[in-house]
Amino acid sequence: MNTFVKVFMIIIFGIPVAWSQNPQTRGKVFNPDISANFLGLFQRGTALSEDRTQVPHNGLSLQEAELQFTSDVDAYFKGTALLGIAQESGSTEYGIDPEEVYFETLNLPHVTLRAGQFKLALGKHNTLHPHAYPFIDAPLIHQQLTGDEGLVESALSAAILLPTSWYSELILQVITLSNEDLFQSPSSGQTGTLAHFKNLWDLTDDLTLEIGLSGVTGKNQFAKTSTLLAGDLTFKWRPAEGGKYHAFIWSSEFLDGKRKGLTDEVTGDSAEHLGGMATWIQYQFAARWWVQTRYEKMGLPHPASIPSQEKQSALLAFYPSEFSGFRFQYDHLKTQGSADDDHTFSLQFNISVGAHPAHVY
Amino acid sequence: MGPFFKIFLFFIFTLAACGQAQAKLYVVTTTTDLRALVSEIGQEFVTVDSIAKGTQDPHYIEAKPSFMTKVNRADLLISIGLDLEIGWLPNIIQGARNPKVLKGQKGYLEVGPLVEPLEVPTGKISRAQGDVHPDGNPHVTLDPIRVGQIALFIAERLGQLDLEHQEIFIKNAKIMQTRLQDKVKIWQATIDQSGVKKIVTYHKTLSYFLNRFNLENSAILEPKPGIPPTSGHIIEIIQQIKEQKIPLILVENYFDPTVTEKIKNRVPTVRSATVMVAVDGGPNVSTLDALFEHLVDTINGR
Repeated sequence: MNTFVKVFMIIIFGIPVAWSQNPQTRGKVFNPDISANFLGLFQRGTALSEDRTQVPHNGLSLQEAELQFTSDVDAYFKGTALLGIAQESGSTEYGIDPEEVYFETLNLPHVTLRAGQFKLALGKHNTLHPHAYPFIDAPLIHQQLTGDEGLVESALSAAILLPTSWYSELILQVITLSNEDLFQSPSSGQTGTLAHFKNLWDLTDDLTLEIGLSGVTGKNQFAKTSTLLAGDLTFKWRPAEGGKYHAFIWSSEFLDGKRKGLTDEVTGDSAEHLGGMATWIQYQFAARWWVQTRYEKMGLPHPASIPSQEKQSALLAFYPSEFSGFRFQYDHLKTQGSADDDHTFSLQFNISVGAHPAHVY
Repeated sequence: MGPFFKIFLFFIFTLAACGQAQAKLYVVTTTTDLRALVSEIGQEFVTVDSIAKGTQDPHYIEAKPSFMTKVNRADLLISIGLDLEIGWLPNIIQGARNPKVLKGQKGYLEVGPLVEPLEVPTGKISRAQGDVHPDGNPHVTLDPIRVGQIALFIAERLGQLDLEHQEIFIKNAKIMQTRLQDKVKIWQATIDQSGVKKIVTYHKTLSYFLNRFNLENSAILEPKPGIPPTSGHIIEIIQQIKEQKIPLILVENYFDPTVTEKIKNRVPTVRSATVMVAVDGGPNVSTLDALFEHLVDTINGR
């Protein structure tokens, strides 16, 4: 047993707990909270395929379904299993993926330790599941650098709440390097590291400012280093009076990736350095209605082998309740060197059943 | 030992050392009503903050990380329970990383289930019925008698955490309970004089208040809990107001009151008012007594 594991065991089990004993030892009370979410999608796009084995494609599809189970494991840990069901590209079949399966500590002061497979704390958007994306799709730069699923790895994580008067959190993670777009390390024994520093200030009772900086590094398939840096900035306004009916969010995220050794398969030119940004505004103009817009620039900088892209999106959302939502999105995509711009219309429904969702700020 | 583990251990032990005892008890409450209670019971021996503001609908508070920072430092977290805070408090507790305020610990107190909740649904319930609360209506702090009972539960818990001032806390709670019991008689007489027997509300927020003062909540502007009023439902309400001669509509101040204009256009005799339903919901309502007086005065047409 190495030093880290010994210390981990002492910390976890050495802290006395005083959970009240529930006399009920059987029945539903110990069942996990269970919820299911499904996203249905209708799309019509100039660049989308009519081939239903392609993801995404024109027409109706089940974008994704998720099953989530959450419960306290015992007096020390909480467990979460989130299984994603999505169409596999090149087939009409759907596959089940363990999107997030992890346990984390319940009762350590100032720190949460987590182990398992989960979405890494890189920026803000990467931690979101598709049903919680601010837009129907992920930003271009995220898709390009971390793939469709985002950066998900097996990892050990320590999330430390720093003793400051404002919210300040430092997350340190030791991760595997399986992501095909960023690492694809051939050795399962190799690990990478991630650090995320998040700060949030209440500028007024109604307005918050959040700034996050994060970076992840590890060996890639070329036995060289891949590094991805991220910065995020969010202003959020929801008035204490009338806040049921109005809110405003402005978020921006910048990613800069260096995948040393990566070359263009055809020309052999370097494709190492790629960056990009997305910035979006969300405005709630009535109790159940939001209007949103997003601008993206993929290729800040970009290698010659990867054309830069600019995208503008507009979205109108209607949420009948906390458990259902309908969103209509239009995207305009301009790709460097392409004569024709792409236009896509999407209509998505977002349905949740089961346990009440906990709303992440 | 790698550099990551060294950094990790440094933070673990440094932060564990930060949990030093504070001179005064620090209490965080989910609502301003609970904050007012703690403030009166604990007086100078307690510092207290509320997460929700009096102008906000407590069902829909956002789990701001700054609340986690407050709860991280708390000796005691007091909530209503009965699923009032289900959409946001679990995230705040999880993010606070404070083992003292976990469920089952001395530092966590849920008062709603302790005071005989009203409107506990029977039979099978589903979300088709709207935002139902399986364990009963959570707006318990709008009944002055239950507030007195809650005061004693809070005093008892404060006393367990601060033995030195235990007697003071219990004494303060009993004074408050007796005062509210006495005032209920005066408020009941005032309401009786008003002649108002039936009231329409926007949501079932005022159930406990109306129940205490023998007032009938004849209709709700929401067709189902959490669902905004629809035209069809408002037509039904207008019909009910006419048939039952309901004299008053009360709209909780975090809801849009414009819907009452449509009703008043069709039934000019009906009176409507926007009411505060929590301490600090507006000016001059900084105590629970003032909140109840505001509600009584509004019913009385003052």
